[in-house]
Amino acid sequence: MIKLYDYELSGNCYKLRLLMNMLGVDYEAVPVDFYPGREHKSDWFLKINPLGQLPVLVDDGVVLRDAQAILVYLAAKYDPSGNWYPVDDPAKLGDISQWLAFADGITSTASAARLHEGLFYDFDIDACRAGAHRLFRILDEHLWFAEKQDRDWICPGAHPTIADIACFPYVILSEEGGISRQDYPAIRRWCDRVKRIQGFIVMSGVFPAGPAGGRLNALSAA
Amino acid sequence: MTGCTDPTILNLWFAIGAEQETTPCIVSDTVLLEEDLSFTLDRVGQPLVWRRDARWPAGSVIDTSDVSVTLPVKQAYGYIWTCLGQPSADIFPIEEYDEPDRRNLNAASIGVNVSGPRAIENFLDMGHFPYVHTDILGVQPHTEVKEYDVEISESRDEIVATRCRFFQPMASTASTGGADVEYVYRVPHPYCSVLYKSSGQNPQRMDVIALFLQPVNQERVRAHMLLSMLDEANDERVMRRFQQTIFGQDKPILENQYPKKLPLDPRAETPIRADKSAVAYRRWLSSKGVTYGVIPAAN
Amino acid sequence: MGNTMLEAAQHQWHPIASSEELEYRHTFHGQLLGREFAVWRADDGNVNVWENRCLHRGVRLSIGINDGTELTCQYHGWRYANRTAGCTYIPAHPADSPARTICNRTYPAVERYGLVWSGEAPQGDPPGVALLDGTDVLSLRPIPVNADLETVHRQLTAYVFQPNEGLDGAKAAVSVETSGDLSIGLSSVSGDCKTQAVFFLQPVDSDRTVIRGVLAGMPAHKAQLDVLHHHNERLSALRERCEAEASQLPQPEKLQPVIQPVSEELAGMPEQSTSGRNADLRVKIARKWSTAEGIAGFELVSIDGQLPTFQPGAHIDVHLPNGLVRQYSVTNGPGETQSYKIGVKREPDSAGGSQCLHDDVREGDVLAISEPRNNFPLRRDAVKTLLIAGGIGVTPILSMAQALYHTGLDFELHYFAQDDSHLAFPDILETLGDSLHTHLGLDPEETEQCLEGLLADYQPAMHLYVCGPGPMLETTRHTADRLGWPDQAVHFEYFKNTHEIDDSTSFEIALSRSVMTLQVPAGTTIMDVLRDNGVSVPSSCEQGACGTCVATVLEGEPDHQDVYLSETEKKRGDRIMTCVSRSKSARLVLDI
Repeated sequence: MIKLYDYELSGNCYKLRLLMNMLGVDYEAVPVDFYPGREHKSDWFLKINPLGQLPVLVDDGVVLRDAQAILVYLAAKYDPSGNWYPVDDPAKLGDISQWLAFADGITSTASAARLHEGLFYDFDIDACRAGAHRLFRILDEHLWFAEKQDRDWICPGAHPTIADIACFPYVILSEEGGISRQDYPAIRRWCDRVKRIQGFIVMSGVFPAGPAGGRLNALSAA
Repeated sequence: MTGCTDPTILNLWFAIGAEQETTPCIVSDTVLLEEDLSFTLDRVGQPLVWRRDARWPAGSVIDTSDVSVTLPVKQAYGYIWTCLGQPSADIFPIEEYDEPDRRNLNAASIGVNVSGPRAIENFLDMGHFPYVHTDILGVQPHTEVKEYDVEISESRDEIVATRCRFFQPMASTASTGGADVEYVYRVPHPYCSVLYKSSGQNPQRMDVIALFLQPVNQERVRAHMLLSMLDEANDERVMRRFQQTIFGQDKPILENQYPKKLPLDPRAETPIRADKSAVAYRRWLSSKGVTYGVIPAAN
Repeated sequence: MGNTMLEAAQHQWHPIASSEELEYRHTFHGQLLGREFAVWRADDGNVNVWENRCLHRGVRLSIGINDGTELTCQYHGWRYANRTAGCTYIPAHPADSPARTICNRTYPAVERYGLVWSGEAPQGDPPGVALLDGTDVLSLRPIPVNADLETVHRQLTAYVFQPNEGLDGAKAAVSVETSGDLSIGLSSVSGDCKTQAVFFLQPVDSDRTVIRGVLAGMPAHKAQLDVLHHHNERLSALRERCEAEASQLPQPEKLQPVIQPVSEELAGMPEQSTSGRNADLRVKIARKWSTAEGIAGFELVSIDGQLPTFQPGAHIDVHLPNGLVRQYSVTNGPGETQSYKIGVKREPDSAGGSQCLHDDVREGDVLAISEPRNNFPLRRDAVKTLLIAGGIGVTPILSMAQALYHTGLDFELHYFAQDDSHLAFPDILETLGDSLHTHLGLDPEETEQCLEGLLADYQPAMHLYVCGPGPMLETTRHTADRLGWPDQAVHFEYFKNTHEIDDSTSFEIALSRSVMTLQVPAGTTIMDVLRDNGVSVPSSCEQGACGTCVATVLEGEPDHQDVYLSETEKKRGDRIMTCVSRSKSARLVLDI
């Protein structure tokens, strides 16, 4: 069984929980006491990931760190449809990778702001917020024009890709870092669409969306 | 110089950090009531707190005997407490903390952009369990808040809510189905609350979860959480994860409340019977003349 | 922004969103002059602009769930209806119907030029914009700018863009056609090509402004995207200039919108609302049709403003031209707040209420009705709900079924009728899918057998709602009782009280709150005595069926003659229907 070294409040860990749930992949979560225990800096964990960062995924002898890298691995291995990460479409892979890097940018700004506000990390909060707003403007514009071309997702195509999963968590958690999304209505609509992907789950800090139509079956499914 | 001029609040003890998260002789910075403070533990584990001083920046190693002007301090429930005004002799009691078979731990200290009183009110609230803590503390359609009792205990000047029951989907690790779980709530301090919850492991006794709020300013708090559990099975990691999950779910609700300060005017919001304890809390704050972190009623 | 300009802006219409931004089942987060809005489009197309706070604890409704008919707060699941913003359900108290005056603050909404217009207290209709009238329009991507209105206004007057057909042509000459405080009309000419555009300025706060541009004339489909990109680039560059300029100015103080207090009545713990047998509303019959054999459907629309919020199970009093007053249940589904739909069965032996509606009342006629009152509230905390309807008793049940269906709760509707042609509101029934079960042409014995099967499997937290003719109701209640259904799980509504009322007793009533002692002589009701002494009592059917005139009994033993209270409630003796019930003891103390 896949092992995910996991911290509930981490958006990067959430990316993997999300994708595995959407793909219907079973996994075992190994809780790591990121705070206050700082277990990700403990000796036992540094042996697994010398960078001392979450998440880490262990599958079949493969040990991987970095959320974006793990998304690539999971989609390539466990999505037979090839929709989430189309390995035989170089242009699309390039496009997806570009947005995975963008997601890293969101992490270093919006996630940093959230750590400052929630856990009192010593970051330049104004710089974090300004950086996040700069990225959100780009993403909002991108998504607005995508909608104009009848596209729902970050990368072209009818199906979401791991680019959406990589960008979603720290966008939806941005308000915890004091970064409002009021000025990004296209991002807000895209967030609703991500929440309506089959297999979507929430984490602490993320609300569910309502039914997209027809009858809400959430209760009978629960 | 402080932004807080509310004497009731200034004279209170506030938790400002967990002892376990404080390294002796290393300076930690924090903010209480808009005042910049530093604190640490000395070599024998005694806390000291002082108004921030450029000579001893955060993270620096300090000889604690150099700090001559300090603020009042206490150690209680695993946390370091201080006061900016004239403190009372004692911090409110949590008798259960000293029971030998309890596991006491600091679950987390998390920053939330909301006033302390809003966070206390949320802590006292059961109606949101099925919506905010879905499948953990509650589940639809079991949404009813049954009648419960609230009183302001004259002897101890605190609010006590008893006979609180709420349907919980996984009432205990021992049971597979849902059942009503019993709660008792205390508000012994305008910025602190203690809840007692029937223990899965020992039906005669109750787990204790306490919330100690450190007001950074009127619209921002650091929420310190104490767990005092009868749980023998789970390791601390699991207990902390549970508490942080719950609090992480409350956080975006709290940060989306407007206004962030708690309005004490009865006509500011719409109470229902389930809000009896919140109504009592608002009245209690009014009767104490609290102004910090609240919007006082007009008259 | 200057103070006078700000004040003026409060009385003006402003664009607050693009129509296309109100995506299906989405909740848009808007703001104008410092006040935040939750903006959402219901499935019927109606745009709701509400204050962005749940009345309960102030949580933003822009994070709430738009289910197409109602907006649900994320904190405690309070539901607010499309249009009225009235609260229809408070999950913490599933057995109660929320006081209908719990109503969120709403703002007007008008869609024009591809934009949604609203305002704090706008006067009249949104003003027409000559440049955009009589032509197709294209909304540009809205550009939020971190700068004050004046800075953005100044920059916009110097905005340069190419006409639609000449994006790559010679640099256009742009002239200002119209200029107001909140909008600028520009005209761009390059060679033979010309495009006119209007840029509306939405003052979000003292330091934030949204530019909402609208082009007069629709470019060819293929060129649209290029035109949109062109303006997006130019306006983004303009934004940079505005923000650079604004960053040099002193930070203006944020606008502080006033939050209106809730009504006095809502400030305390809610009690049942009190109003007399009033006919406060005037409605027009928009549609009258035959919905089944002997059953006429009526659709009632308001002639002056919004109809009040209803909840499933609610009824209205209809004041008929012949002076009679009759109660009819609202059959509407959640969020259907533009009209009330009722069903009226022709009762040949009636005093003339139904006949009057069937024969004399026509489409276009105006009737007086009461506000909806809910004495048959629907709990939504059941693990499963059984709805049982007989004949015209289906009307309140239809509203309940739609609410349960819409929220995904487990329920079954069992509808007993003579035959297919007697099934009322087939259009609604059709939407209920597998939850609907019809039982046609059963005689009383077969009906009882059928009910026995339906009620056989009681589980805790199940609830039963039944409405239909008296004998069927009695059978259902007795069967449920026999099969172990607790009294509090069985909810019923009688059309009328067929019991003979014995009003031969006389007794004394003491009103504990008003400190009054009154005599109730034989032949007079408690209600009459109260009203004669200036005590207002809400009422509706006045025959012990609807439950509106309930009073709390503090002392004494009531002589119950109504069909509203359950046996347990009657035994408990703490409530009384003042329209028909009396006293067994010499004295009753009422909490009035």
